[in-house]
Amino acid sequence: MGPILRPKGRRETAALSVFVALQSLAAVFFVGDVFSDLAADADSLHIWFEGVVTLALVLGVLFGIVSLRRTITLIEEQDRALDVARGALADVVERQFTAWGLTPAETDVGLLALKGLDVAEIAALRGAAQGTVRAQLTRIYAKAGVSGRAQFAAYFVEDLMGEGLPLRAA
Amino acid sequence: MAASLWSGRVKPPALWDPVVRLTHWVIAIVVLLNAVLTEGGSTLHVAAGWTGMAMLALRLVWGLVGPGAARFSTFPPAPVQAMRHLAGLVRGRVPEYPSHNPAGAIMAYALWGLLALVTASGLYMTGGATPMQVAADQAAVDSGDWSALVQADDSRADDDGGWKDAAKEVHEVAANVILILVLLHVAGVAVESRALRRNLVAPMLLGSAARGERNRRRAE
Repeated sequence: MGPILRPKGRRETAALSVFVALQSLAAVFFVGDVFSDLAADADSLHIWFEGVVTLALVLGVLFGIVSLRRTITLIEEQDRALDVARGALADVVERQFTAWGLTPAETDVGLLALKGLDVAEIAALRGAAQGTVRAQLTRIYAKAGVSGRAQFAAYFVEDLMGEGLPLRAA
Repeated sequence: MAASLWSGRVKPPALWDPVVRLTHWVIAIVVLLNAVLTEGGSTLHVAAGWTGMAMLALRLVWGLVGPGAARFSTFPPAPVQAMRHLAGLVRGRVPEYPSHNPAGAIMAYALWGLLALVTASGLYMTGGATPMQVAADQAAVDSGDWSALVQADDSRADDDGGWKDAAKEVHEVAANVILILVLLHVAGVAVESRALRRNLVAPMLLGSAARGERNRRRAE
């Protein structure tokens, strides 16, 4: 899966890229100008001055390119870390579902419930009757020892807030 | 089995990095502009050429130091693999690659090489004059002062007239080959997009970041 840059990061890197491109354009034009001045035998002071300015510009472009690369790499790494965190949460949820002894059907319904889908939506997605889904949810809450949907979701949010998750049935 | 694992994990970026996108489209505009609209030798033609040269230089540097997918090492020129990829495409097998597919990589290198050739021959034809100088010469000629033109011709007329003709020939042939390759490139993108069932143009424009994010959430 390709890294998907966050909107803010995208704007920053896009702006920086336009800047680097403009600088490159300017640098190529100035380098060309220095060479044609050399060919036309312009006075040495002029060439020296122009040469130094151009060199500074070229170095500036290279510096900009390197820092742009660093920014993009950093954003990609953050996105990857976020993916890992998401995957880790999914892992925790799955392990806990197993520990509670949920059936495969209950696992699916439980995941959809955690994602915030309501009974009607879950029923539509699974091609099941709403009554079936409601019964499955009741069984899930019973196995998890929670009073209802809010507590069920809170069980995993709690884990994100820094408390360890005790594997009760393990 | 290994192939499916491979294709599941390694994909080109959902959105190319901004330097790749910027240089790609500026060069595309320059090529079209100079092939279709501008008059050879005009200030606009030369300025567009210099702009293309700057973008090509930036892209080549970016190919050395840029992030993964933009780097040459991620899509080395491999003619044998390119042929194998095309053969697989005919048989409906479309593996994913972390950057360009091998055939696309060859296309990229061919286009860059030809762009360099067109730029170099163009520079030779104008005696390396910057667009500013071309504009100044043009202004002088327009105002009735032909000395700029005479001076420019004098310096070169005797010793490298033949080379200049050759450069002109190279410039025109390479430019036409670029146009043919551009058509092939567009066709290749269309075919790959169809085979992969994925829009390959979007990652080169603004991407489908919002859609990708939603799909990803749903898939989890």
